[in-house]
Amino acid sequence: MKIRRLLLTALAACLLGGAAPAPASPEADRTAFQAFFKDRFPQTPFADFGNGPYAVNAPMRKQWEEIMQFPPYDFALDEGKTAFETKFANGKSYADCFPSRGIGIRQTFPYFDTKTGEVVTLDLAINRCRVANGEAPLKYQTGMMASITAYMSETSRGKPFAIEIPDDPRARAAFEEGKKFFYSRRGQLNFSCASCHASSSGQRMRGDILAPALGILAAFPIYRSDWGSMGTIDRRFTTCSSQMRAEPLPPQDIRYRNLEYFLSYMSNGVPITGPGTRP
Amino acid sequence: MRVLAVSILAFGLSAPAFAATQAEAEMAVAAAVKADAQAVPGNRWVPTVTALKAAQKALAAKDWDTAAAQAALAQALALRSVEQSKEQETAWQDAVIR
Repeated sequence: MKIRRLLLTALAACLLGGAAPAPASPEADRTAFQAFFKDRFPQTPFADFGNGPYAVNAPMRKQWEEIMQFPPYDFALDEGKTAFETKFANGKSYADCFPSRGIGIRQTFPYFDTKTGEVVTLDLAINRCRVANGEAPLKYQTGMMASITAYMSETSRGKPFAIEIPDDPRARAAFEEGKKFFYSRRGQLNFSCASCHASSSGQRMRGDILAPALGILAAFPIYRSDWGSMGTIDRRFTTCSSQMRAEPLPPQDIRYRNLEYFLSYMSNGVPITGPGTRP
Repeated sequence: MRVLAVSILAFGLSAPAFAATQAEAEMAVAAAVKADAQAVPGNRWVPTVTALKAAQKALAAKDWDTAAAQAALAQALALRSVEQSKEQETAWQDAVIR
């Protein structure tokens, strides 16, 4: 009997020893993630991480401050405000689709919808609102989608990211999928999101300063000089994929939405700065 | 390093060492298509797509040497991307900030 118990104990120890480590809680992940960037950039105030490379590179910040005298996203902001306030053909508007009539809510996106069991981004919610009101969906990466999200982000400026992970195994799974995507290497260049935006953050990649992953989505949508136009988070994700030499996923693919969920949760507490501008 | 080695090998393969027949070119393209189909969504390498398109275009133009060489390149790249995805199924955890 004793031998049998001993054998069972030994077997259990072997099985436990060989198993993959249990994932940390999202809260523990967020604490470690934020501590990493605070240690890496001790001169950067926490609230400044929403300003991307300008938060960690003084010469770039100086140039940015000059650019911001005439922000290049201003036209999009005006266009977005007008579109947001214009009624649909059925007499309803975007305001009817969102809590607080869509004002000052950007910091709560993306959220996990426990009814549908999926991550819902602000861009996806905007298109669902349009379709529900008989309007055609907008293209995701630039144009009017960028303008409307620019306006909605502007109404949330200064409000810290407040992403929740509800007590639902599907929400936890979405978070873990986003985490896996962030840390997985892909593409011919064998890069992960973390290769640039964690371990090399603040360093140069050719002419660019790599933005820290903490707060990296706070400024979206952005006017990017390289693009010469506005772009949404989808546009940034697909560009990153191409730069790694991996074929991008379609905009709003569930894998990109889970990545956005992970990154936004990790940035909880960082104020929204969008719309933004980047080199 | 491994990626670099595969890339060098793949580019080496792209230089035709012998004149390919139609059957060989068709077989090479079919093998490349099969390898490419195994790529994980979000990790289909851009140069794989480029090489595969070039192989198919050459096949249509009856340029068997180019078709075979580009198909061999596409196949090598596609197989490496599949291997990379398999490695990353667990390897990503080593990069997590803890």
